[in-house]
Amino acid sequence: MSKYVYSSSPQIKSPTTTKRIMIDVCIALLPAVIAGIVLIAMAETSRGGSAIPNTINAILLMALSCISAVGAEFVYKLCCKKDFATILKEFDFSSLVTGMLVGMNLYSTSKWYVAILASVFAIVVVKMIFGGTGKNLFNPAIAGRIFAFISFGAAFGGTMHYTEKYITGVNGGYIVGATPLQGLFGEVDSTLTNLDLLLGTGVPGCIGETCKIALLIGGLYLVIRGVLNFRWPLVYILSTGVFSVLIAWITGYSAMVEAAGTNANSVLLGYYLQTAFIDALGAFIPSILSGGLILGAVFMATDYVTTPNTKLGNYIYFLLCGALTAILRYAAGSEVVSFVILFMNILVPLFDMYIVRKPFGFVKAKKEAK
Amino acid sequence: MRTFKGGKHVPDNKDLTQGLAIEQMPIILDYYVSLAQHIGKPAEAVVSAGDNVAEGQLIAKASGFISANIFSPVCGVVVGIEKRKNAQGATIDCIHIKSNGEQKVETLQPLSNPTREQIVARIAEAGIVGMGGAGFPTAVKVQPKDFVDTLIINAAECEPYLNCDNRLMIERAKEFIEGTKLLAKACNVERIFIGLEENKMEAYNTLVALDGVSGEKDAQPGDIVVMLLKKKYPQGAEKTIIYACTKRKVPCGALPASVGCIVNNVGTAYAVYDAVVNGKPLYTRVMTVSGRGINNPKNIQVRTGTPLTAIVDFCGGLKEDTAKLVSGGPMMGFSLADLDVCTTKTDSGFLALTSAEASTALPTECINCGRCASVCPMNLMPMYIDFYATCGDTENAVKYGACNCFECGTCAYVCPAKRPIVQSVRLTKMRLREKK
Repeated sequence: MSKYVYSSSPQIKSPTTTKRIMIDVCIALLPAVIAGIVLIAMAETSRGGSAIPNTINAILLMALSCISAVGAEFVYKLCCKKDFATILKEFDFSSLVTGMLVGMNLYSTSKWYVAILASVFAIVVVKMIFGGTGKNLFNPAIAGRIFAFISFGAAFGGTMHYTEKYITGVNGGYIVGATPLQGLFGEVDSTLTNLDLLLGTGVPGCIGETCKIALLIGGLYLVIRGVLNFRWPLVYILSTGVFSVLIAWITGYSAMVEAAGTNANSVLLGYYLQTAFIDALGAFIPSILSGGLILGAVFMATDYVTTPNTKLGNYIYFLLCGALTAILRYAAGSEVVSFVILFMNILVPLFDMYIVRKPFGFVKAKKEAK
Repeated sequence: MRTFKGGKHVPDNKDLTQGLAIEQMPIILDYYVSLAQHIGKPAEAVVSAGDNVAEGQLIAKASGFISANIFSPVCGVVVGIEKRKNAQGATIDCIHIKSNGEQKVETLQPLSNPTREQIVARIAEAGIVGMGGAGFPTAVKVQPKDFVDTLIINAAECEPYLNCDNRLMIERAKEFIEGTKLLAKACNVERIFIGLEENKMEAYNTLVALDGVSGEKDAQPGDIVVMLLKKKYPQGAEKTIIYACTKRKVPCGALPASVGCIVNNVGTAYAVYDAVVNGKPLYTRVMTVSGRGINNPKNIQVRTGTPLTAIVDFCGGLKEDTAKLVSGGPMMGFSLADLDVCTTKTDSGFLALTSAEASTALPTECINCGRCASVCPMNLMPMYIDFYATCGDTENAVKYGACNCFECGTCAYVCPAKRPIVQSVRLTKMRLREKK
């Protein structure tokens, strides 16, 4: 036995490891978690109530989902008869990422057992049974969120929380005009501005999805660290915006035409087309900054395991994600990002099967000469 | 900046030896000259135990079309033919020569104003092979079946740590250019490109200062053009350097000559000069001894068959924390189990890497991040090759391009899960060979 390491080339490897990547993702998620919890505390105080119950609950949920996700992985591996030292050595923080994301997808009013069950479901059923890190078909956190959403109803929460708006008195583009987001959050405050949406002030939602700016900062960190390719979230977000505008344009135009009835002539129709378009443009930023899109696009849809392996495949994948998000939001009248991602996850193997890269210097096989 | 698609800049660590002049390694007692220093058939020994040999005397003859002559590195006595391990771990015949301290040197007849045929004959006679690592007999390479119009001198030296080509260009620029011209004549081409990475500005400036050599911008017709290439691994691979210099794509499975190019290494060009002008056959070469595990990193001119133990002694010995020994560059070189290996014509470097430099992390599961595919210079999908090779599914591994892979190792370098992708490729190729 040689005292020197003996291996196949290359003899050097980059310092990037799976563990390092996962730790980076955890770091990138932190700003949004902290901002989310602060916003909840602010919401409670602005309502005149005590900040404590919901804030404590939110912190508890985050902690519980993280602990139970990591715990589930350890217990599962122990059941597979691995010894503890090996499990500890193998631990790559990916289950912590899942735990954090599950926690961020809960509401401050969710019950504590929802956090635990969603995390355990995400890790055991969605990830470990399929073979662990790198083998899951679906993003575990998305699956965990949907599991909780369709299983627990009221216990999942979903009660809105409002905070003081950062800028008051300005009528933003949020509710004005026939945007497809009108019915998105039920009893929505019609005076929310785009800035409110960006900061998360006054915006109802899950713990981790409200403060878009914190999520974007986290995404930027990942891009700088080379973990995330900025193209994919950008394609997803932009295509959602563009398709939302298109839908708003079509619906706005047809509403105007219907209102005009028999009075409609070609000049008027042209005018309607123009006005509807200008109105529809107002839907661009709200559609991007509402709901779970940023969280989904930056952190969940871009999960390495559940995205195609080719550049072309990824462009199509994220373009479709955006289109589906916009269309289903309009059709369902509620937030659909997590369902869209889950659905698109199913299609990934198809992308990988049919989109295969041609090698450098590829030549079509010539037919044998007769 | 000229370059290719894919690839990745690997921290080059060239500063360890970049400024160090080439030193002559003194003659030692024992040399073990391998009979298989090139691709093709091993040479046949023409000396036997007890024979006295002079430095530069033919000791083994080429045994076929693709084979090369081998010359004695030193003046001494042949002890015998022994079986020894080479850097790849295979056991091969080596001629053991004990030096006797005499200075008898045999050379070939120097040629002045040689014709093409004379140069080609001399290249074959002097046992010159590709000195970048593959060791393909140069005499065969310069006579392709296809029509060629361009000679590219591969001076990219994209392998981290290595500086042997760089130093050769700086210190022996005139000789190198002369050798390049001789090679061009042997290939019967007019157009000559020298492609080097932008981190070798000293060599670039030295070269363009010579007559008849110029940078890309102010090139006159008939000049040798020195092209600056982007600092990126694997810039010096044959297909990538052809693409970077000429924008021609070598078809899969074809040779560079099919797009009218011949690529030769800096060391080869210099060896051609030595063989033609000085009549000195190929039995020395410049190599870089580097890595943070060696006490005094050096660029040295060594004789073939020098045991690594002697080289390590000459360079101040190994440090305690050396974790890996590498023959060649760190990306495509071979790791060694011990120092019981001798140099050949193709050894461009010897590295002693500490555990901080050499990754000793064990593979984990692939996380499908796609980094390997994004850096692949051949535009393959290494994650699938690795997956199917691991499963034993050779057919699918080939489908995703295992046979087009030239094993540059960029994919395995960037892999966060540290998958042994290159090993998988080799496994697939080996299984294919076994099937045939």
